[in-house]
Amino acid sequence: MDQPARPTRQRRSGRIGKAGLALVVLGILFLSPALLAQDWVKTGTSLGVEKVRLAVSDFKPSTTDPQNTALLKTFNDTLWNDLDVSGVVELVSKSFYPLQTPGQPPEVNFLAWNAPPPNAAMLAFGNLGAVANGRLTVQGWLYDVKNIQSPQILGKQYGDAASDAAARVMAHKFADEIILRLGGGIAGIAESQIYFVSDRTGHKEVWAMDYDGSNQHQITRLGSIALSPRISPDGSRIAFSALTKTGWEIMMYSLDLNRLVSFPHMGGTNLSPAWSGDGTKLAFSSSRGGDPEIYVADASGGNLHRMTTAKGPDVSPVWNRKTNAQIAFVSGRTGLPQIYAMEADGTNQQRMTDQGYAVSPNWSPNGQFLTLAWVRKYGPGEPGSSDIYLMDIASKQWVQLTHDGGRNDFPSWSPDGRHIVFQSNRSGSLEIWSMLADGTKVQQLTFSGRNTQPNWSWK
Amino acid sequence: MAANAEIYFEHDGWGRALAWSAGLHVAITAALLLYSALFYRTSGEGWGAGGGGEAIGATLVSTVPLPANPAQAQNVLANESKGLTQSQPKIEEKVADAIEIQGKNAKVKPKKKQETASKEKPQPAPEEETNQVAFGEGGPVSGPYGTFSAAGAKGGFGITGGGGDFGTKYAWYVRVIQQKVAENWLKYEIDPRITTAQRVYITFDVVRDGHPMNVQVEQSSGVPSLDISAKRALERIDTFGALPPDYSGNKISVEFWFDYSRK
Amino acid sequence: MKQTSMRSLLLAVALGTLFGLAACGGKKPLPPPPPPPPAPPAPTASISVSPSSIQAGQSASLTWQTTNATDVSIDGIGAVQANGSQNVSPTDSTTYHLVAKGAGGTQEATARLTVTQPPPPPPPPAPTVTDEDLFNQNIKDVYFDYDKSDIRADQQASLQADVAFLNQHATFSFTIEGHCDERGSTEYNLALGDQRASAVKNALTAAGISASRIKTISYGKEKPFCNESNEACWQQNRRGHFVFQK
Repeated sequence: MDQPARPTRQRRSGRIGKAGLALVVLGILFLSPALLAQDWVKTGTSLGVEKVRLAVSDFKPSTTDPQNTALLKTFNDTLWNDLDVSGVVELVSKSFYPLQTPGQPPEVNFLAWNAPPPNAAMLAFGNLGAVANGRLTVQGWLYDVKNIQSPQILGKQYGDAASDAAARVMAHKFADEIILRLGGGIAGIAESQIYFVSDRTGHKEVWAMDYDGSNQHQITRLGSIALSPRISPDGSRIAFSALTKTGWEIMMYSLDLNRLVSFPHMGGTNLSPAWSGDGTKLAFSSSRGGDPEIYVADASGGNLHRMTTAKGPDVSPVWNRKTNAQIAFVSGRTGLPQIYAMEADGTNQQRMTDQGYAVSPNWSPNGQFLTLAWVRKYGPGEPGSSDIYLMDIASKQWVQLTHDGGRNDFPSWSPDGRHIVFQSNRSGSLEIWSMLADGTKVQQLTFSGRNTQPNWSWK
Repeated sequence: MAANAEIYFEHDGWGRALAWSAGLHVAITAALLLYSALFYRTSGEGWGAGGGGEAIGATLVSTVPLPANPAQAQNVLANESKGLTQSQPKIEEKVADAIEIQGKNAKVKPKKKQETASKEKPQPAPEEETNQVAFGEGGPVSGPYGTFSAAGAKGGFGITGGGGDFGTKYAWYVRVIQQKVAENWLKYEIDPRITTAQRVYITFDVVRDGHPMNVQVEQSSGVPSLDISAKRALERIDTFGALPPDYSGNKISVEFWFDYSRK
Repeated sequence: MKQTSMRSLLLAVALGTLFGLAACGGKKPLPPPPPPPPAPPAPTASISVSPSSIQAGQSASLTWQTTNATDVSIDGIGAVQANGSQNVSPTDSTTYHLVAKGAGGTQEATARLTVTQPPPPPPPPAPTVTDEDLFNQNIKDVYFDYDKSDIRADQQASLQADVAFLNQHATFSFTIEGHCDERGSTEYNLALGDQRASAVKNALTAAGISASRIKTISYGKEKPFCNESNEACWQQNRRGHFVFQK
């Protein structure tokens, strides 16, 4: 351990010393009123902060409508799951909850919650009720149960037509509000979407689903092979690559119009489109010039510029969506594919991975990390399993997130930067899975057909 | 700080005192080095080397915006032992002794902290009480933050009262600040030769939309890379989330300290 | 008095004879017989088939009508309703014989359905080899090493043979498909397959084959030739595959 030695002080004359003292005293007197007028908060850290313990009490019925039973189950299950996988809170197990749970603020018994066994720091509670005319109302609160004097952090009310889907949406909204506050200003992902490829109809088409795997529905009906769907930042269009009569083309599907919209024919094999963070540009791989290279065009397909020239396949570009000034991509220029990063004008191409077979880079929303699929040890006799890794761009340090020995690929970041969705064959068939960005809370999202290449929406 | 130092030395013959001071510094530094060499042998692997360093990967994970458990942040094997947090007080003990000579010169806040620590047994056993929150992680989720209110007078500037209101009413927000700064503190930016350092104090304002501004190093740790890494932690943060809507002020001011120790 | 007694005697004899005759020889004079019941009407039957001529495999509709019949049957079908119709699809010409029985008698009807055999299938064409057959029999695909798109030394012979064949049949146009094995990532494999197809095309054009005859497409690992997870199958999939373009 090094203890920097304190520099010894030179002696000054007494006079200056006295002046110094006066200065300090004056300084104190001068500054303290100003400082007293502000609200000061003092806190600190050395190692890390543990997750806040949140108790989520089942919402109670506020009316006697018979629909409430089913709606409450949907609401409570959805709310619990959204908070459980959020990565922001640690949910206190319901087996520790007191027998009496609140449906309204006056019913909260603080001592029952903030002491063991629940030992909770926060409590989410509320009520839900449908009425005869088909209207559903939900009231929810988030309380700091250790702060009995001023516990309320959040109080919300939602209303909609009574339906299972509405109960689900309200639970998502309430969960997101909790996560926004407890997670420090980053919006929750409970209403985000995941776009992916599924062959369950007999052809690989683009599909979409809620972030938790519900509401899976088909988007394209091309009857060919559609791959690499990428949703635009504003959520209005999906760019993807499909096999057409003229070969592999970049295609554009408008979710607003519910149909394909035109995108220019490029020639060659065109793959893996990627949106810039402001939605104005698309990067993609094209072999229109003979060798697959990275190109950048406007979102309409015009203004095409070539970014790479090296011999060897260059594919799978992804933008740094925070700065829109960098692109990471895969290149086989040295043999097995490796991840490279470059400026968005093609300059300063740098290799990021040092060995093995590295593909499918995806840049984190905060600009700091890449997630990628990597077979670090490649060759005969090696297990050949492909795992999801996290790499810090600035330092190139990495950490392995999956360890199950299967084939894991196509990781995609959630908009909150806390979750990664990916494809894995660990269940015996190719399916879509999600996890927290530290490798925990791994969950399977799809269960039928073969499902691949997930892409998380931007909000 | 220079002014404070002068106040202390103003009337004393300094020659002998200086000699004693220097001698004691050397002795204690030597003792610390010996102590650390014997008990804190580090493996010295994998810092900073690009592309390698799986051990460092564990630190890397803690920088993803997820609140990490302290044990995980230091060890891939998720060692649940509290050994690391408990070893800190031992070092702090020595530091407290070393500083005592200048104790009255240094800011009152850290002195208070170390005085509290020095009141404990000089050689605390590793299995110290686990409710020690001396290093600010976690603590009670809502205020008051024991480490500061227990310190009584808030340092040389005499801040009291006004500073406590926000923390009491919106303790959950203070916790969010703590968590976000901890998440964004990338310890691998610190000089790898440093294994522990004095506390660095950073001040900043948080405006209504939750954005931190006016990030300053209020008191240096003496280790430049640590100071910079602490400042950078703040600069990385876009927002802590909007200030609570029913809070009447336009901003709050935060003084945040960082204790660093590398195993 | 003899005459009076004679008369009485004669009367008696006449009466006796009359009685005797009536008793012995003749019928009693019956009352007139009741009128006989009216005779039951005879049943009618008719049967038809439409169309009356079909080809084997087609079907026709058999329709019949009867009146005053309690028991109606058609040969080959069995008992049927008094009136009805049915689809039939015999393989040979058939006469449908309907029998309608009733109290008034029996009536029969027939309908004839002619079944013509379909024209015989045309004789198989004389075994001439098509251009496509020729192409597929002679062109050899080019196989690649893992993650490589350069032409291996041991594939040069195949390429030379292909060049020779293509020179002999200068009108043949074709597509080269680039394929990869199942390991590796979807996007990268599509790009690699593209390179493989290009590599084969470039080798052919360098040897003088006109580029206008050659199209290329990559299938990556999307359309494998086999699905096992072993090196034999993987090598099968790592190829540039030639497809004749008609």
